[in-house]
Amino acid sequence: MSEFLLDIRDLKLGFKSYAGLIEVLHGISLNIRRGEKVALVGESGSGKSVTARIILGLLQEFSTARISGSVSFEGDDLETQPLSVRQGLRGTKISMIFQDPTSSLNPVYTIGVQFQEVLRRGDVQISAKQAEARAIALLEDVSIPEPERVLASYPFQLSGGMNQRVMIAMALANEPSLLIADEPGTALDVTVQAQTLHLMRDLVERKGTSVLFISHNLGVVREFADRVYVIYKGRLVEHGRTSELFHSPRHPYTKALMAAVPRITGGGIPDIAEATDAYLDPMIDHEAEATS
Amino acid sequence: MNDAAADIRPVLEARNVSKVFMTATHEVKALNAVSLTVSRGECLAIVGESGSGKTTFANMLLGIYPPSTGELFLDGDLLPARRTLPLRRAIQLVQQNPLSSLNPRRTVGASLRLALDVHDIGDREGRKTRIGGLLEEVGLPADFADRYPSALSGGQRQRVAIARALACEPEILVLDEPTSALDVLVQARVLQLLDELRHRRNLTYVFITHDLGVVRNIADRVSVFERGNLVEQAGTEEIFERPANAYTRSLIGAIPIITDDEEALRKKVMEKNSAG
Repeated sequence: MSEFLLDIRDLKLGFKSYAGLIEVLHGISLNIRRGEKVALVGESGSGKSVTARIILGLLQEFSTARISGSVSFEGDDLETQPLSVRQGLRGTKISMIFQDPTSSLNPVYTIGVQFQEVLRRGDVQISAKQAEARAIALLEDVSIPEPERVLASYPFQLSGGMNQRVMIAMALANEPSLLIADEPGTALDVTVQAQTLHLMRDLVERKGTSVLFISHNLGVVREFADRVYVIYKGRLVEHGRTSELFHSPRHPYTKALMAAVPRITGGGIPDIAEATDAYLDPMIDHEAEATS
Repeated sequence: MNDAAADIRPVLEARNVSKVFMTATHEVKALNAVSLTVSRGECLAIVGESGSGKTTFANMLLGIYPPSTGELFLDGDLLPARRTLPLRRAIQLVQQNPLSSLNPRRTVGASLRLALDVHDIGDREGRKTRIGGLLEEVGLPADFADRYPSALSGGQRQRVAIARALACEPEILVLDEPTSALDVLVQARVLQLLDELRHRRNLTYVFITHDLGVVRNIADRVSVFERGNLVEQAGTEEIFERPANAYTRSLIGAIPIITDDEEALRKKVMEKNSAG
């Protein structure tokens, strides 16, 4: 058994188009240990979301996608597994939270009905009554007052923050070993985002769930993750423990990214130059340096 | 930065401005007796969360709808409910998402030209060179006039939206989350541009945003809105160093930050809240 829950090696992705192969990922290697919260941070178009989709096996269904490299989950290479096994992992061992909670919930069913569906995925035999009791307990875990009322509501009757909590509760309902959170709460107000983030962190720490946290927001990453990978144009450029990376970023791209965030302590609008070739410098791996 | 070049005379004033929207079943009070002034050349930030009334306020400044009660003044003159062309020209808007605010079927040049045509700025010949000049002013090559918005990056599109607003030679720019949809590296450069333009053209900004990091570095003063009420207003440094209102403090406490100095500031601010 490998020490890693998720181990991605040299993952490459391209899309075939009439103009030839468009390369999106140029060999990404990243891993997550059990109970660890790992962030993948980068700008839009850097390849963070496609990485998540490959882990879930969603991109493999596209006929134009060309994927190489390996993705191992709990020691098994997912590529060698039959489709049924891979699909079986979704919503059970691996679950995902998306950016906008309100649009990821089905508007025409109540939360209760959708919750039941999620729980059935983990346990086909579960009765409606058991499912309701379990859903109530899970909603209480995410500090939702009056869970019965929420279960009877439609997503549009709840606030964005409430829906986000429902999403978190659903994602953790079947006790997954890996949670993929793709820009969670970006669509929410800052105070609500901060609350739900703390709540999610406490919950995954208590349950020992591993998290792949995908975000463009460095501040959120700093607060949530144990380890950080920085991605730029389909290449990982820097990797290290969160405090190390934030205290001493070394890659030119990471440095630029950090310099560009306006500080609440002032200092003026950051002065950022045009993108340079230095952003494509080889990856700096703080962890590998520490162990070698 | 933040130099107090601002003239004392207010270019914009709101007196007891309220807005009530009627729905089929009930009234929604979006804004409640807000009074504030903005001096010429100043950047006033309006911060608050969704539903705080900041966009309602902006829409009234622009004349999209009038206040339910209260008055707005431009250069000391009452702004009427129906704006004349020169009044519309004086206050211009830059929105959050340029992909939806620019017409996808018009080239960049055509979008800029429309602004010049509507407000009858310059003669027919002069407009073409003016379009090139506007693009250059926002840091884009003049030949971008022939491109469609879909062929531009997010940052370039936002520069076009700024050029479009500047085409009207406004006195005041209302910036509604102008950089929220942009990546952080692009955001820094667009903010840099906005700051330069303000000083070069002596523009007045009403900068609406929820991003307090941006506010700290671009605004001279800050107004905090909460559920339609103006709950705190002060100079930028004052707001961040000594926020008087609990809601302002909770906003500062919720900002994701990246340095230890910021963390210390946030902690200092939040201690006051827990102390009551």
